[in-house]
Amino acid sequence: MLLYAIARQSFRRHLTYRAAAAAGLLTNFFFGIVRVAVLTALYDGRPEAAGITLPAAITFTALSQAVIGPLAAFSWFDVMRSVHSGEIAGDLLRPMGYLTYWLAHDFGRALTQFLLRGVPMLIGYVLLFPWIAPAGTHFVWPQGGAMWAATGVCAVLAWLISFGWRFLSNLSAFWSPDARGIIRFVFSLSWFASGFLFPLRYFPDWLQRLCALTPFAYTVNAITEVYLGLQQGGDVVRLLAIQAAWAAALLAAGALVLRAGVRRLVILGG
Amino acid sequence: MRQGRAWRRGIASCVGRGEAIAEAIASPLRRAHHPVADLRHHLGLLVRLVGAQVRSQLQYRVSFTMDFVSSFLMFGFEFGALAALFVRFETLGGWTLGEVAFMGGLTAVSFKTMDMLFSGFDPPAFGEHVRKGTFDAILLRPAPLTLQVLGSRFVLMRVGAIAEGVAVFALALWLVDVHWTAAKLAFLPLVVIGQLAFFAALFVIGSTVTFWTVDSIEAMNILTYGGHELNQYPAHIYPLGLRRFFTYVVPTLFLAYYPTLYLLDKPDPTGMPSWVRFVGPVIGLGAFAGAMAIWHIGIRHYRSTGT
Repeated sequence: MLLYAIARQSFRRHLTYRAAAAAGLLTNFFFGIVRVAVLTALYDGRPEAAGITLPAAITFTALSQAVIGPLAAFSWFDVMRSVHSGEIAGDLLRPMGYLTYWLAHDFGRALTQFLLRGVPMLIGYVLLFPWIAPAGTHFVWPQGGAMWAATGVCAVLAWLISFGWRFLSNLSAFWSPDARGIIRFVFSLSWFASGFLFPLRYFPDWLQRLCALTPFAYTVNAITEVYLGLQQGGDVVRLLAIQAAWAAALLAAGALVLRAGVRRLVILGG
Repeated sequence: MRQGRAWRRGIASCVGRGEAIAEAIASPLRRAHHPVADLRHHLGLLVRLVGAQVRSQLQYRVSFTMDFVSSFLMFGFEFGALAALFVRFETLGGWTLGEVAFMGGLTAVSFKTMDMLFSGFDPPAFGEHVRKGTFDAILLRPAPLTLQVLGSRFVLMRVGAIAEGVAVFALALWLVDVHWTAAKLAFLPLVVIGQLAFFAALFVIGSTVTFWTVDSIEAMNILTYGGHELNQYPAHIYPLGLRRFFTYVVPTLFLAYYPTLYLLDKPDPTGMPSWVRFVGPVIGLGAFAGAMAIWHIGIRHYRSTGT
């Protein structure tokens, strides 16, 4: 119940910045169009590459731009700031765990971002598809109810994993006043390994395998794989299971590291 | 104990420097005006202001190193992802990886250098001064305004991104067999300066706009960061509407794409006359002059927020 209240407050708070969301949406859309042009030029008339057709590739650019908001793909320093500023002292006094508090908070944020930036992005792509894609092709949707459901589950798990590594990297603030550089580094790594810039399937095999060792590959890339139907049947279930395992591992690691951090935390009054 | 001493020394040197800067700002008041002396004085002042920024950012050495490494890697990963695609796709709009890297490196060096030198004119940062009213304090000081804004912020960390641009360009030189001539070698720095001046112009215009509204910053981002993105890939791959806008309305494409066609002897699928390959630097410097004119109009019409 408390979790629900925090998520709702966070949802409301983020809903206030509608104008900023609209402007951000426009910027994301612009960068999406540039990606479409790059991918179309790379395909250079090929009907498909690495099992991905051109319309599916264009749909991927929509997905990648749509998840920027919900997964906070560019930056997220909230926990770091709360540690550095000492606000954490107040947060720790709450009648709930610090991690749970931020999880609820981030859920509200992700949901608003999904509604304000994710959904409009997909709608924008559908409406403008005839102008940005080759004639006679269509925007790709998940095939059938089961795949829609799988995509939904996959997206929620992707958000959990994303929260997990963002929270964990932010905890470096307990040990270092230079946490910003560390967190920024993790983010730049995530762009590459998460399949946010390009689907990992396009990469050479060895690089794909390397990326698959990181939790990042189970965020944007997993959504792409399930949404576009690149994985079918049992493979989808396996993918969701790996996602769940990563989410659990990262949250557990977050809880452990948090405990170690809080133990060495000194709050100065004033 | 040691920390305490270092702290006291830090405070002492800050006070010392503050006095030195105040002294440097005030000194022309006591001196007879002479154009050359004025220019030398102003340059000296800028060096002092920027120097103070650089010194203060270098105080936190670990922080600086981390930021340097992460901003180097951030763009490295982005380029790495694109490079990995060339294994499968081989060319992008008929350009090899080396050719794309050539233009991308050139653009990154120009843009990131601009981003560092003109940090003070970065619209969101400058808009904060206007919104909070701290810009009024700058107006009161007896030193040229533009110079003070330039010296008000200097994000040294950008050298990481500049270094990354240099690395990408070096990779391009290794991959592409460029037929260098004396004319091309002379043109190359002009391309960098032209592009730098052009994006600086966008920064200055974006900052000027904040005198009237702070809501339009995101829209300016499409022109600056979006323009930077566009100048990383061969322009003929873009849809016609987009290309036209960035050719005739905001002439970004003249700054990197057309000069690169000349430097690498590439054909022009967009069918423009061949002289457009050389207009980039002129457009860049012209845009900068125009932006400075708009900036001065903005200053004349500036009304403080009163905070």
